[in-house]
Amino acid sequence: MKKSFALLLICMVILTACGSNSGSKNTTDAGNTGSKSNEAKEITIWAWDPAFNIAALEEAKKTYAAINPDVKVNIIEYAQSDIIQKLNTGLNSGTTKGLPNIVLIEDYRAQGFLQSYKDSFTDLSNSIKGTDFADYKSGPTSLDGKQYGIPFDSGVTGLYVRTDYLEQAGYKLSDLQNIDWKQYIEIGKKVKEKTGKALITLDPNDLGIIRMMIQSAGSWYLTEDGKTPNLANNEALKQAFGIYKELMDSNVANVHADWSQFVAALNNGDVASVPTGNWITASIKAAETQSGKWGIAPLPTLPGNDKSVHASNLGGSSWYVMNVDGADTAADFMAKTFGSDVELYQKLLTNIGVIGTFKAAASGEAYSQANDFFGGQKVVSDFAAWTEQIPSVNYGIHTYAIEDILVVEMQNYLNGKEIDKVLSDAQAQAESQIK
Amino acid sequence: MSIRRKSVLTGWSFVLLSVVLIFIFYFYPMIQALIMSFQTGTGSNLEFTGLDNYKRLFSDAMFFTAVKNTFIYLLVQVPIMIVLALFISVLLNDKKLKFKGFFRTAIFLPCVTSLVAYAIVFKYLFAGNGLVNTFLLNLHLIDTPIGWITDPFWAKITIVIAITWRWTGYNMIFYLSALQNIDNSIYEAAKIDGASAVRQFFGITIPLLKPIILFTSITSTIGTLQLFDEVMNITKGGPGNSTLTISQYIYNLSFKYSADFGYAATVSYSIVIMIILLSFLQFKVAGDKNA
Repeated sequence: MKKSFALLLICMVILTACGSNSGSKNTTDAGNTGSKSNEAKEITIWAWDPAFNIAALEEAKKTYAAINPDVKVNIIEYAQSDIIQKLNTGLNSGTTKGLPNIVLIEDYRAQGFLQSYKDSFTDLSNSIKGTDFADYKSGPTSLDGKQYGIPFDSGVTGLYVRTDYLEQAGYKLSDLQNIDWKQYIEIGKKVKEKTGKALITLDPNDLGIIRMMIQSAGSWYLTEDGKTPNLANNEALKQAFGIYKELMDSNVANVHADWSQFVAALNNGDVASVPTGNWITASIKAAETQSGKWGIAPLPTLPGNDKSVHASNLGGSSWYVMNVDGADTAADFMAKTFGSDVELYQKLLTNIGVIGTFKAAASGEAYSQANDFFGGQKVVSDFAAWTEQIPSVNYGIHTYAIEDILVVEMQNYLNGKEIDKVLSDAQAQAESQIK
Repeated sequence: MSIRRKSVLTGWSFVLLSVVLIFIFYFYPMIQALIMSFQTGTGSNLEFTGLDNYKRLFSDAMFFTAVKNTFIYLLVQVPIMIVLALFISVLLNDKKLKFKGFFRTAIFLPCVTSLVAYAIVFKYLFAGNGLVNTFLLNLHLIDTPIGWITDPFWAKITIVIAITWRWTGYNMIFYLSALQNIDNSIYEAAKIDGASAVRQFFGITIPLLKPIILFTSITSTIGTLQLFDEVMNITKGGPGNSTLTISQYIYNLSFKYSADFGYAATVSYSIVIMIILLSFLQFKVAGDKNA
C-alpha cells in the first residue's frame, strides 16, 4: 500500500515538473521575441481560400522573389476556422512553435486576437503607414495607436442583380441607383410576380445582411468603445430588423442553409439579387452562361435614416505578422508587397479579382476597365468609389458572440415578439455574457 | 524481500508506464481544466476570479438553451435507439434467418463511417432541395419542401434521425453478443410451456439483457451529452441556437467568439457533473446488486 502511494507521489512530481516546464518556456519565449535571428531565410504564411487569398499570396511571392531571392516563402492553406483554432491553441499554450510568420485574420476577429494575445503580434508602424489604406480598415488593424495589420481585401458591398429578371419586371439597373431597402422590397415583389424568382436568399443563421445595413449607417453591435453592447437603443439595428422581417413576410426571400447552397442559388438563377461583399464576384462569374445578365448597383440605404449611405462592408481581412523568429523578414515581405506595391495590386485585380484597400492602387488603369460579365459595367471603379464612403465603426471583439444572441431574438421577432422587447432582451443577455 | 513484496513490485513495474501516461494525458489535463474553470479573460489574459464562471453559468440563457436541447436529444433519441437496437438484434438472432452476416454488416456499417463524412452527407440529403424533400414531394406526401435544416423543429428531428442512423448498429452488436450467451434451452423450456414469442421476449430476453441494456443506455447517455460532430456539421447549432448542444457551446466559447477558455472549461465541468449524476441515477433505477 505504501509502495503504491510512493508511486503516486512520483507521478505527481513528474507532472508538476512538466507543468512548471511549460510555464518557464512561456516566459522565455515572450522574452526572446524580436531579438535573435530575425533575419530568417524562410517564412511561413497561413491563409484560406485558394482562389482568392492564396492566389494573391502567390503573386506577392513572385514579386518578392525579385527583391529578395534568398528568402523562401511557404504558403499554407487552411480553412478559416482551422486557422482560428490553431492560433488560439498555439498562442494559449505559450509555445510559439508551429505558428506561422504571417497570418490572415478576418477584420471582425482581428481585435479579439490583438487584445487577447498582446505580445504575439509585431508592431508594423515602422514598416507601413495605416493612412495609406482605406480609413475604415484602421479600426480592426490597429491597437493603442500602433499599426499591427496590413489591411488587405476590401469587403465593400454592392447589390448584385440579374438585369434580365429586372427587365421582365419592367425595371432597369439605373432604377436601383438611389433606393432604400423598402423600395428594394417593392421591386422584389414585382420581380416575384413577373418571373417567379425570389428577390434574395437568406441564411437564418447568418446576420451578415444586418451587419451591412447597420454599418452603412455608421452603427455597430457595440458602442464606439468596442466594449459596451449597443442593441436596445440602436435605431439602425431596429430598422434593419424591420427590413429583415419585411423581406421574410413579403415572400420574396429564398432560404438557404450554408455557403454551397447560397452559391448554388445564385448560379442556378433562383434569385434575382444578392447584396453582399465584392468577394462574391468570383463565385457569380462561375456560372459562365449568365455572362452579361448581371449588374451591380450601390447598396440600398436604411429608409428614414439620414446617416445611412449607399456603401457598407461585409467581411474583409488583413495580414498580421507574428512575433516569432523571422518577424523582420516577414514584415519586410509584407511592406514591400501588399504594403506599397501599386503594380502588384493591378495584377491582383486583373488576374484574381482582388480589390485591395491600398489607396494609391485605386488610380491604376486595371481599376477602370469595363467588365463584360457585368454588361460592360466598370465594376471595380464603382467599388473603389463606394469603398471611400464606407462608414468606419469599431467592431470590438464580440461580433460573433452578439450575433448568436441576435440570431435567436431574430427568430422570436419573426414569430411575433415585439421589436423593443426583442432588442432589450438581447441587450440584457449581451451585458451578462460579454465580459 | 518477501515473495509477496516482490510480486507486488513486479506487478507495478508492468503497469508503471501506462499509469504515468494516464496521469500525464488524462489526469493532468483534467486538473488543469479545473484550475482554468476558475479563471476568466480572453485568450491568454486569464486571471483568477474564483467562482465567477460558475455564477455566470446559472444566469447564462445560451447555456440553458444548450442543456435543454441536449436533454431533448437524450430523452427522445436514446429510448428510440435502444428499442430499435433491441428489436433488430432479436430479429437477427433468429436461427432460421438467411444472409444473417449480410444484414448484420449492413446495420453495423453506419457506425464505422467517419462522423464528419456522414454528417455532411446528411446535410445534403436533408437540404431544402435535397433527396429527402424531392422524394417526399414526388410521393405527394408533402406540398412544400420541409425546412429540415432551416426550421427550428425539423432541424432537431434531422439531428435525431442522423444519430439514430449512426449509432443503432453499434448498440445492436452488444445485444447480439449478449443474446448469443443466453442458453437456448431456456427458450425451449418456455416454448414447451406454451409461451408466445412476445411473452418470451418480455419474460426472458429483456430480464437477461438487463445489464447490457443498462450499459448501452449509460454509454448512449454519455455520448449524447458530448454530442458535437453531427450538430457542428449539419446545422452549426442553428437555426437560432435551436440545435445547439453543450459541446458545441464549448467550441463556440473557445473558438467562435473571442476565446474564453476559462468559461469554456467551466461549461465542460458541467457536463462531467451531469454525466456522473445521470449514470448514478441509471444505476439506481435499472441496476441490481450484481450489475
